Amino acid sequence: MLAVENTKCECGHQNAVGTVLCESCGKPLDAALQQSSEPLEMRYDGVARRSQKSNPAIIDRIWNFFSSVKIAIYLIVVTFVTAMLGTIYPQESSFINSFDATTYYEENYGTPGKIYYELGLSHTYESWWFIGLLVMIGTSLVICSLDRVLPLYRALQKQQIRKHHQFILRQKTVYRSEIAGDPKEWVEKFGAQLKRKGYKLHFEEGTGTALLAEKNRFSRWGPYINHIGLILFLLAVLARSIPGWQMDSYVSVPDGDTVPIAGTNYYVKSEKFNVEFYTDDELPEELKGTARAKKYETQAVLYKCVANCDDPLKEPELEEVMDHNIIVNDPLVYKGLKLYQFDFNLTPRLNAVSPILEDKRTGEIYGPFYLPMKNPELKHQLGPFTLEIRANYMEFALDSEGKPTTLSREPNAPAFIFSVKGPGLAEEGEPYIYFPMQKDKVKFAQDTINRELAGKIEIRVDGMENVDFSEATTHLNVRMDKALPYLWVGAVFSMVGLILGSYWQHRRIWLRVDGTELALGAHTNKNWFGMRSDVAGALKKIGVEIDPKTLDNGGNNA
Amino acid sequence: MGKSRKTIQIVILFAVLLLGGYAIWAALFGGDDAGRPEAGGEPPSFTLADTAGGVQSLSDYEGQPVVINFWGSFCEPCVKEMPEFERQYEKWKDRGLAILAINLSEDTLTVNNFVSRFDLSYPILRDVDRKIERQYGLRQYPTTFFVKPDGTIMEVVVGGMLESDINERVERLLEL
Repeated sequence: MLAVENTKCECGHQNAVGTVLCESCGKPLDAALQQSSEPLEMRYDGVARRSQKSNPAIIDRIWNFFSSVKIAIYLIVVTFVTAMLGTIYPQESSFINSFDATTYYEENYGTPGKIYYELGLSHTYESWWFIGLLVMIGTSLVICSLDRVLPLYRALQKQQIRKHHQFILRQKTVYRSEIAGDPKEWVEKFGAQLKRKGYKLHFEEGTGTALLAEKNRFSRWGPYINHIGLILFLLAVLARSIPGWQMDSYVSVPDGDTVPIAGTNYYVKSEKFNVEFYTDDELPEELKGTARAKKYETQAVLYKCVANCDDPLKEPELEEVMDHNIIVNDPLVYKGLKLYQFDFNLTPRLNAVSPILEDKRTGEIYGPFYLPMKNPELKHQLGPFTLEIRANYMEFALDSEGKPTTLSREPNAPAFIFSVKGPGLAEEGEPYIYFPMQKDKVKFAQDTINRELAGKIEIRVDGMENVDFSEATTHLNVRMDKALPYLWVGAVFSMVGLILGSYWQHRRIWLRVDGTELALGAHTNKNWFGMRSDVAGALKKIGVEIDPKTLDNGGNNA
Repeated sequence: MGKSRKTIQIVILFAVLLLGGYAIWAALFGGDDAGRPEAGGEPPSFTLADTAGGVQSLSDYEGQPVVINFWGSFCEPCVKEMPEFERQYEKWKDRGLAILAINLSEDTLTVNNFVSRFDLSYPILRDVDRKIERQYGLRQYPTTFFVKPDGTIMEVVVGGMLESDINERVERLLEL
């Protein structure tokens, strides 16, 4: 150990390294500071920060780094700047439909967009370095607060009543005069006036000629309560990365379908999607003739999977947990899971038909039989006829080799190839192609393909009541945010702390009478005008008339 | 007092390291569900029914080189690839190569017709409601994941491949 700073005050109190004003009598410890006559810096009552040490080890160095308010401010500024950069172009996470980020930014915003993407700013808020900054701010918040609040608490808990003259007379509000009469009585009288203003009084024991009057000390804890709130807030934000805590995804549900909600154990069914449009009478001139949605609503049912959820061989067993008509701003809410109306699509989708088979030679009609577009029954017995489905196509087309194929997996232009057996038909069955939709029947010339069989039998749907289709598809936004209540708690703490610190001020008045000589100093953290008028007001009540302005000892106080 | 201060310091720094480390780690490697797993990453696990009435999991093939191919009968380049995969499977299966062809949530008849038309002998798995497809973040078909025996992805190929392309990658997988 080399030179150890002398931290012992003349009053005999041993102070910690880094102490500015003696913890006991308040005398400045630094020689240069003792010579000056400037008002004292009263921050944290001049006590040392907790972590200040004469020879720091590695842990202390890390600790001191985060304990620095300067570092904290740099961290906050850097975070703000990067957060701002993140708002220049849309973030990748704001795109619902799959898009290719590698080309999107360059195509839409040119070279700046490319640079933006290359720098990783297109996913600023999820990037490791941004999270890292938040973590560092959080660390800094905890350590800065802890390092200051504990010494401050101790300093305010055991305050010396009789302060050094240098301490009292170098406050920013000072009063000095000669008093007549018994000093003890004077102090008591003055104290009684302060008490009426809400001050708590501490007289020096024995002599009664020194006084500490103090009010609203609790406001000093405001910033720390605020910090606790911010830490809770940050922890809640970080908790969102815990699997299952937050989701924001989309699910499309055609009318009548039950669709699993990815990442959860829930399924959602849309009984029916309804949309109402404004009539022309309700629209302003420039919008007449356009389709403007007035209301859209999904009659949704939420199911929970209770068995066979992950067994690929079995159908999952669902249990209804809730039903709700979802409209804009009125989501289905179940145990933190929220389903919002997001969008819709009015393209109908064919689900199933119930066609009949007509024997054209006799005019006899057989059926109807149920034919869903997906996973139909493969064999149907209709009177003397046997229908076997040989192939099905969702969107029928011919491939480059002229073979039938499907262009998609959605039933946009469905087709079935049956093998038909029955009276007057070949023993091994004759192929018959069937297009449930009239437009496809014409487009692909069903009768021509089926050749002479088309003259013998016909499979067709009689009437719309034999057609099952979804009129619309609803798009729902699935949201879950378990961190939200904690965010609220954090925000409330933060606000309470802010109010405590802003609307009250910690005011203290020290005075000592030595013989006939009165020295009075007062300190607050803001509203010095109020501080001075408190002192002047109390003095006036005991017959000392002074202009509050004369109490100002300099130091740029409002 | 000095000792308890040190303990508090260590406890707090440790907590920060733990929480912050987790958060940063999650930002780096986790939470990327929507995206497609890339080379070097691990393919999401799955358990699916096959066309033979059994159940197959990716974990059944631990320690083996695996080719995971997503296909649909509606996707012409996928269809072209299937016989190529069949030939590659016949060629390399004795060396431990596994091919898992995951159908893109089509219906049973479509899949069965397809499999019998090409006489495929490697496992054809049935995705339902696009679940696994979403987990793999697919955007275009076909997409093929070449998975090394250590369980990490060697390469992701989007689009159809020639048989020579498949052969070359399988040889790399088998470290020939």
